[in-house]
Amino acid sequence: MEHVLDWLPAYHDGELKNGQARRVEEHLAQCASCRAELEALQSFSALLHESAPAATLMRPDRFVAQVELRLPSRPAQTSAQRVLETGWRLIPVGLFGAWAFVQTVFIVVAGVLLLQGFPLTANLFSAVLPSTSGVSWLAGQQCFTDTSLGVVWCVADYVISLGGILVVGFVPLVVIGLLYWGWLAGWWLRRQRRVVYVQ
Amino acid sequence: MKTTTISEETERDWIARAQAGDRQAFGELVYHYREGVINVVYRMCGDANLAEDAAQEAFIRAWQHLPRYQPRSPFRNWLYRIATNVAVDGLRRERDTVDIEDASLAASSPGPETVVEHNERAERVRQAVLALAPASRLVLVLREYEDLSYKEIAETLDIPVGTVMSRLNYARTQLRETLKTYLEAA
Repeated sequence: MEHVLDWLPAYHDGELKNGQARRVEEHLAQCASCRAELEALQSFSALLHESAPAATLMRPDRFVAQVELRLPSRPAQTSAQRVLETGWRLIPVGLFGAWAFVQTVFIVVAGVLLLQGFPLTANLFSAVLPSTSGVSWLAGQQCFTDTSLGVVWCVADYVISLGGILVVGFVPLVVIGLLYWGWLAGWWLRRQRRVVYVQ
Repeated sequence: MKTTTISEETERDWIARAQAGDRQAFGELVYHYREGVINVVYRMCGDANLAEDAAQEAFIRAWQHLPRYQPRSPFRNWLYRIATNVAVDGLRRERDTVDIEDASLAASSPGPETVVEHNERAERVRQAVLALAPASRLVLVLREYEDLSYKEIAETLDIPVGTVMSRLNYARTQLRETLKTYLEAA
């Protein structure tokens, strides 16, 4: 027979679900030691309640009056404050939207540049985007094989192009990331100010 | 200590009005929750005079933070959260000046007239509760005296339910050991 000692405090506190409580009750019906433990818990609770609540010295209406007297003036929250509060809560949503937008643009641009390098699609893109220069990996390869161009120029052009893509793609992501961490820090500080937790 | 029942609608109305700056509506809330808040603080600090002062302080803090109160959690739990913070702040201040256990015992030492008024067992129970670590004491007070569920305690103290259970278990084990003599005699 498996005892239910671990379940007894939760059972005593009325925290067990119906099925669990029934199992404990079934066990209690046939186990004297668990019954004794439950009784000990009940006696303990009864003993705790022997300690009387605070003997308040002030009449309730006097207490209320004193609190009301000590209340600092607090202007009601204006609609502007409410809008600001809502805006503050929506910042992460906005940042996520910005992140999704930047990612999408980045992926689309990368895709376009990649396709530009393939012979089958290059013509199509040169027709649609005649001004685009070869900045894809494949375009870079062609640049290196074309001896009429200087290698140094080719490498410089390639690095600048690649750097441009990275800057365009990653800087906004870094900015969004920093803004999000900033918001998180602000949220944490507000929360700390509001409540001091007991640890 | 349970407070008298009011309808949810009435409470919502008082809260909304108090949030809008109505002091009278806030006064209704103070009147209604006064006893519970005083008792939570009293069980934490062990002194009725201090408890009344601290309870007033808790209500003032509640008034200041009321515009930010979200009715997602019950108002009582929110209020108890503030009250427990005030009590813990008070205990920290006290600890900075005197040893907390000595202070609790000194505050609870019965004078000649209180010897008659107070039952020895009750006094010993009160001292034993006060000797618990604040974190465990708080959970025990909210469970045993304020009748909050594990979930409500977890929400009030912003700790996981598992932590509530372990702290409660620890507090009970400690107290049962300390009060063994009285429990065996019962």
